[in-house]
Amino acid sequence: MGAEPIISLRGLRVAYGSNEVLKGIDLAITPGSFVALLGASGCGKTTLLRTLSGFTPASGGSITVNGRDIQNEPPERRGMAMVFQSYALWSHMSVAQNMGYGLKLRRVPREDIRRRVDALLTMLGLEGYGDRSVTELSGGQRQRVALGRALAVEPQILLLDEPLSNLDARIRLQMRHEIRSIQRHLGVTAILVTHDREEAMVMADQVVILDQGKIAQIGSPEEVYQRPQTPYVASFMGAENIVACETIRDAASMTLRLAHTPQVAVRLDENAFSVPAGPVQVHFRSEMASLGAAGDAPDNCLRIPGTITQASYLGGGYRCEIKTDCGHFFIDHPRPAQIGDAATINIPVSALHVFVRPGNTEVPRPS
Amino acid sequence: MDTPRLRKNLPLVALLLPALLMVGLLFVYPLLFSLAYAFRNEGTGGWDLSNFTKAFALYGADVSLTIGVTLLSTALVGVLAVAVAGYLTLGENPRAVAVLRWIYRWPMFIPFVVAAQLMRTFLAKSGMLNNTLMSLGLIEPLNAMSLLDWRGVVVTFVWKQLPFAALLIAGAMASMDRSLMESARGLGAGRLRILIEIVLPQVSATVWVSLILSFVTMLSALSVPMMIIAGTPTMITVDMAWRVNSYGDYGVANALGFISFALSGAAAWFYLRQGVREGGKPA
Repeated sequence: MGAEPIISLRGLRVAYGSNEVLKGIDLAITPGSFVALLGASGCGKTTLLRTLSGFTPASGGSITVNGRDIQNEPPERRGMAMVFQSYALWSHMSVAQNMGYGLKLRRVPREDIRRRVDALLTMLGLEGYGDRSVTELSGGQRQRVALGRALAVEPQILLLDEPLSNLDARIRLQMRHEIRSIQRHLGVTAILVTHDREEAMVMADQVVILDQGKIAQIGSPEEVYQRPQTPYVASFMGAENIVACETIRDAASMTLRLAHTPQVAVRLDENAFSVPAGPVQVHFRSEMASLGAAGDAPDNCLRIPGTITQASYLGGGYRCEIKTDCGHFFIDHPRPAQIGDAATINIPVSALHVFVRPGNTEVPRPS
Repeated sequence: MDTPRLRKNLPLVALLLPALLMVGLLFVYPLLFSLAYAFRNEGTGGWDLSNFTKAFALYGADVSLTIGVTLLSTALVGVLAVAVAGYLTLGENPRAVAVLRWIYRWPMFIPFVVAAQLMRTFLAKSGMLNNTLMSLGLIEPLNAMSLLDWRGVVVTFVWKQLPFAALLIAGAMASMDRSLMESARGLGAGRLRILIEIVLPQVSATVWVSLILSFVTMLSALSVPMMIIAGTPTMITVDMAWRVNSYGDYGVANALGFISFALSGAAAWFYLRQGVREGGKPA
């Protein structure tokens, strides 16, 4: 991260009327990196991308690209090419005309345009499609053309606005890797907007999680997955089982116990959890917990007794719904489970994400 | 046809009959009648082209003027309507866009005859246009001239028909996916370029439809040429009214009507062809 950032945002604010959508974004993006803006709908991720590209005006803060303030530059002079969710291909032009349009605007000689477009068609696996109408192509092919059109002008920055959302699941998985490898190959800086955490993790070097117009966390996929800093990030990154607890500090250690069933407790390693004593909420992933019989007593586990109320087969194993005194939880289990049986949820301490619970608020129950 | 089926369909026929009769008696019959009687020679009682010979001899220049004025007005309506609709779609000054959006439709609610009357006071030799130009010192009083001839008709037609075409075209542009324009801007295209190279081809079907409908409307306007053009040459609608009202000469009037109908028919053919092409377009 030694390099000068190619894009830096300072205190960026965007408002639609009195509704402030971005509430002060600070972000530095290094050249050649792949950044994913991740968040639930309405979190401001698309607005952030549109503000970068110049289609939405900022109401405060600054955007600099290569050290130059670009706030007053129109979109056509920002040197960023965008790929849209809807492909946004022009149906009155052929595939090659779509891809060569940016070069035509730059008055590149026709022969050079043809050569570049041919090279891009080959790179994108669309050889021989140059003269086709874009209306004859499948969704995946259309998005490849849109990508080629953006890449043809050799932009410094490539903006991807949910480019895979309209594609079939299978094509989507394949395109993730294709876009990622093209980005690496060309060394272009890419910014991806997505609501799919797996997509963000597969494609990006750096994940920026947005929550209600603010950055909730920035980090590598490993960091945001393993060390979420807020309950929102933990839930968004898949730690969706939530249980209300309390922490109690005694002379040398810290103990975590369930708020509803105080006899269920586990000792925490204080170095790994930096929470003060008091009410907390604990998040954990379905796949990190296991089901055991009432008698088992594995070490270093939070053990919540309950009853199996539902089980569905997911391919790799079964996802079971467990009803306990402190709520319902979803736990992955390798073997079929009998509905109605008693079972105990074992969650290793290392799989717990512990956050301060403000006051004595009720913890949202997983739906 | 077997009787039970006929009995079953009788209520349907009864329901449709009044409407069919109305259309037939009030529209189809007079139309066919006047088209047929364009070929009737009242003198000999036979059927020939004499009405057309006479119509072209007397009003040949008017037929050319009618075609010229209508085509020129249609072309101007097209250029201006695309410009207005394009600004409404791509304009970036919200206040200017709001003012234009508010103001551009007004002429649509003004009847042709009122529009013509307005233009008479505006375009006359001592009218508002010349007075304004003179007071600004742009022209000398001696050079002031009346525009109350074919030019006045073109100005009135364009003023009156522009909002209609702009409304249709702006509607089509507004329903376009914005990302089609934004992707072009991101690649470096300016707004005029986007209008011509991206937006216009996407809404071309609507542009054609609005121009064809404008062409037919202007072709059939009587009050505008009658009020604005003092002498000759004038438009054939005026000639038709003149033949009927002053001479009771339905033959030549019908022949002129036939020519007018043929021009509209050609436009209608383009319109229908456009409709078929649109309908057959892959979604």
